[in-house]
Amino acid sequence: MPNAAGMKVLVVDDQNSVRQMTRITLEQIGIRHVHEAENGKLAMDTATLQPLDLIISDYNMPEMDGLGLLRAIRGHPVARKIPFILLTGRGDRELVVKAAQAGANNYLIKPFTADILRQKIEQVVGKLS
Amino acid sequence: MTSLDELRLTFFDECSEAMQQIEVGLTELREGNGSDDIINAVFRSVHSVKGGAGIFGFEQLVRFAHAFETVLDAMRAGKLSPTQEILDVLLTAGDILSDLVTMSRAGDEIPADLGSECLAALEQIMSDGGLATEDGSAPAEFEGLDFMPVAFDQTGIDEPNTTDDPGLHVYEIVFRPAAGMLKKANEPLFLLRELRSLGTLELVAETGGLPSLEELDPTEPYIGWRGTLRTAATRDQVEEVFSFVDGDCELSIKDVTPPMATVSESPSDFAAPAEASAPLAPTAAATPAAASAAPAAAKSADTPTAAPKASPTKPAATTTRVELEKIDRVVNMVGELVIAQAMLGQIVQNLPEDITGRLAQMLDEVTHHTRELKDSVMSMRAQPISSVFQRMPRLVRELATKTGKKVRLEMLGENTEIDRSIIERLGDPLTHIIRNSIDHGIEVPGDRASVGKNEEGTIRLAAEHRGGRIVIEVSDDGGGLNPERVLNKAREKGLVGQDATLSEDEINNLVFLPGFSTAATVSDISGRGVGMDVVRRNIQDVGGRISLKSERGRGMTIQLALPLTLAVMDGMVIKVGYETYVVPMSVIVECLRPKRSDIHNLVSTSGMLNLRGNLVPIVDLAELLDLRKREMDSDERVVIITDAGEGTRVGIVVDELCGHQQVVIKSIEESYGSVPGVAGATILGNGRVAFILDVEKVSELASTPAPPVRGNGGAYAQPMSATIN
Repeated sequence: MPNAAGMKVLVVDDQNSVRQMTRITLEQIGIRHVHEAENGKLAMDTATLQPLDLIISDYNMPEMDGLGLLRAIRGHPVARKIPFILLTGRGDRELVVKAAQAGANNYLIKPFTADILRQKIEQVVGKLS
Repeated sequence: MTSLDELRLTFFDECSEAMQQIEVGLTELREGNGSDDIINAVFRSVHSVKGGAGIFGFEQLVRFAHAFETVLDAMRAGKLSPTQEILDVLLTAGDILSDLVTMSRAGDEIPADLGSECLAALEQIMSDGGLATEDGSAPAEFEGLDFMPVAFDQTGIDEPNTTDDPGLHVYEIVFRPAAGMLKKANEPLFLLRELRSLGTLELVAETGGLPSLEELDPTEPYIGWRGTLRTAATRDQVEEVFSFVDGDCELSIKDVTPPMATVSESPSDFAAPAEASAPLAPTAAATPAAASAAPAAAKSADTPTAAPKASPTKPAATTTRVELEKIDRVVNMVGELVIAQAMLGQIVQNLPEDITGRLAQMLDEVTHHTRELKDSVMSMRAQPISSVFQRMPRLVRELATKTGKKVRLEMLGENTEIDRSIIERLGDPLTHIIRNSIDHGIEVPGDRASVGKNEEGTIRLAAEHRGGRIVIEVSDDGGGLNPERVLNKAREKGLVGQDATLSEDEINNLVFLPGFSTAATVSDISGRGVGMDVVRRNIQDVGGRISLKSERGRGMTIQLALPLTLAVMDGMVIKVGYETYVVPMSVIVECLRPKRSDIHNLVSTSGMLNLRGNLVPIVDLAELLDLRKREMDSDERVVIITDAGEGTRVGIVVDELCGHQQVVIKSIEESYGSVPGVAGATILGNGRVAFILDVEKVSELASTPAPPVRGNGGAYAQPMSATIN
């Protein structure tokens, strides 16, 4: 059973407010070790240099968007196995399908509550302790 | 403030940025400079606003942004081409979105029908294009999607791939980092992890090369590894792992795939070098082998990773929210430091030379650092001027629509940084100047065409650093001022004498006089009872200067020269009697030493100075402030011609000019009270306090029959006793 307190999560979004909000919500479910990146490129740097247990990434970002990041992650020798959850808006089904095909492990619709976040993370990594 | 409130503020700050992007992007598109990148950027900005609004619960904002975004999305997918009509709707949508953001930020009640017209127009665009409008209330869950489940393990990427395919290769790998490899920022741990991600890796650390702890150089690798990798990867892929350390290590990769590979049990001590982060001290007491292995592990885990770790996390921390008050406190302290350093400089100067040598040198260094410190603190308060500029495109658009004129706004130098307290006070003057330009300057399309101008007028808004100041120019290619009309108007209003002869420049500058307005009819736009005199006042209040150049039929340019900061000011240090004062450089027009014959004494006032044919009232500061006069020839005295506001020139008679100097402004109002004629105080290099004169007030005081500043103890005796609590 994965231990929430020991999980290292990377949150990727170009909006600081969304990153902070996600961080706060992650903290509510016991995940305290949170890295942040403001676009796919920077996220890639972090993901290749740090051991990560999960990436939660927005789709719309300058430099490299969420799908670009997902593809880069899946194609990277070290980072390729990091679980990936795509942050998306309501109604973006097409995007989520694309993400699933590219190897995303789940999606999360903004705005989300701590319960939904936990549920989605647990669907990906298993029940949190 | 709770963290949620702070986050909300962060969100609104982001919204401002997004709104600017939207504005700029749509304007570009409208001017026909469209590109996919621009459409994408605009879409992304609207999307960001929507996303954040959803998180913070601004429903109306979400709904509107959604409709907006839908059109942009169709556009970027190529399903909709950006016609002028559509772009006009989008520009309006941008304005409404901006209103919604502003209202949401202020916590105002948003009228339910706000933007409903525009919303309908957006939906119309979609239906005209034969496109379905997506409902913003789509389900929060998507059905029927399959995601790969992930087997979670605490080590994540470190977990070896345990799939046991018969098609696997087995490589025997020997990897011994060479001296100097770590210095090239290569981390063996990462290489081993990468290797492990390829399959099942079993390695034994070769610790034989480790020296004793005393001899150990933590920047050198001493450990090598030998073992096997069971993987589906090709030899090339395995070699690629080591591509960055090629030449910096001893490496051998042998394919030893047996018909049926069986690999020995993994040696248990592998984990130590790679994972342990045991502190250095305790291990020193352990067995020699373990003792020597541990420091190396600690080293490899700490030292080389420090550098690469720092860089990727840095972008997240590029900005920090700091209360303005805290920065102000630092600004103040730096001000004190500048003064203390100036005082120290004077003390050192007065010391005998044989002991000053090294001291003076050090002091030079301190001076240098202080200046840099001052500059960087000031830059902390600085903000790009774009926060004011970004309000202008909308203004121009709205005014152009209202007046039936075609106007294009060009903006340059939006990233020029200026003290935020000045920025806050620039909005109104700039708005007014631009209103004027559109209302009175730019002609209607027909008139423009008839004189061979482009039907579309251009207003150019530019900011730049120039000689320690920020210069903002607003220029238009309209009709310019009509000097005849200006002069007639000024005569009519009694602002100038009937027979005064003025140069064209002087005539143009009459518009800065209070109560002046050339428009025959008071329009809804610029005729709001605020004239250029108020604009000039606003600019002068922040220590700036305004000037105007107009060319009949060609347009005009208004230039604002602003100080970089309000905390430090350029001042002229002067002496009157035995007192020292500072006159702000921004009000000084010129300094001269007039001949006795040029000064005419009229009744009781100090007199008038004949300045190249114009009479300028002069104020004898010593007399006004009731200072003890110095015995000196009146021909020796200096007159500083100042701009006392509203275009009036006043000469201030002083005894001596001591020089131009940057002074740190200290408010005396806070600790003492407001004194008429005194704008503040500063501390000079010699440690003495000097008052900064408020020239406008001084000239007012001089023209009042019984000046309130009268006492027997000097400049401040009277008001001091009157206002002290």
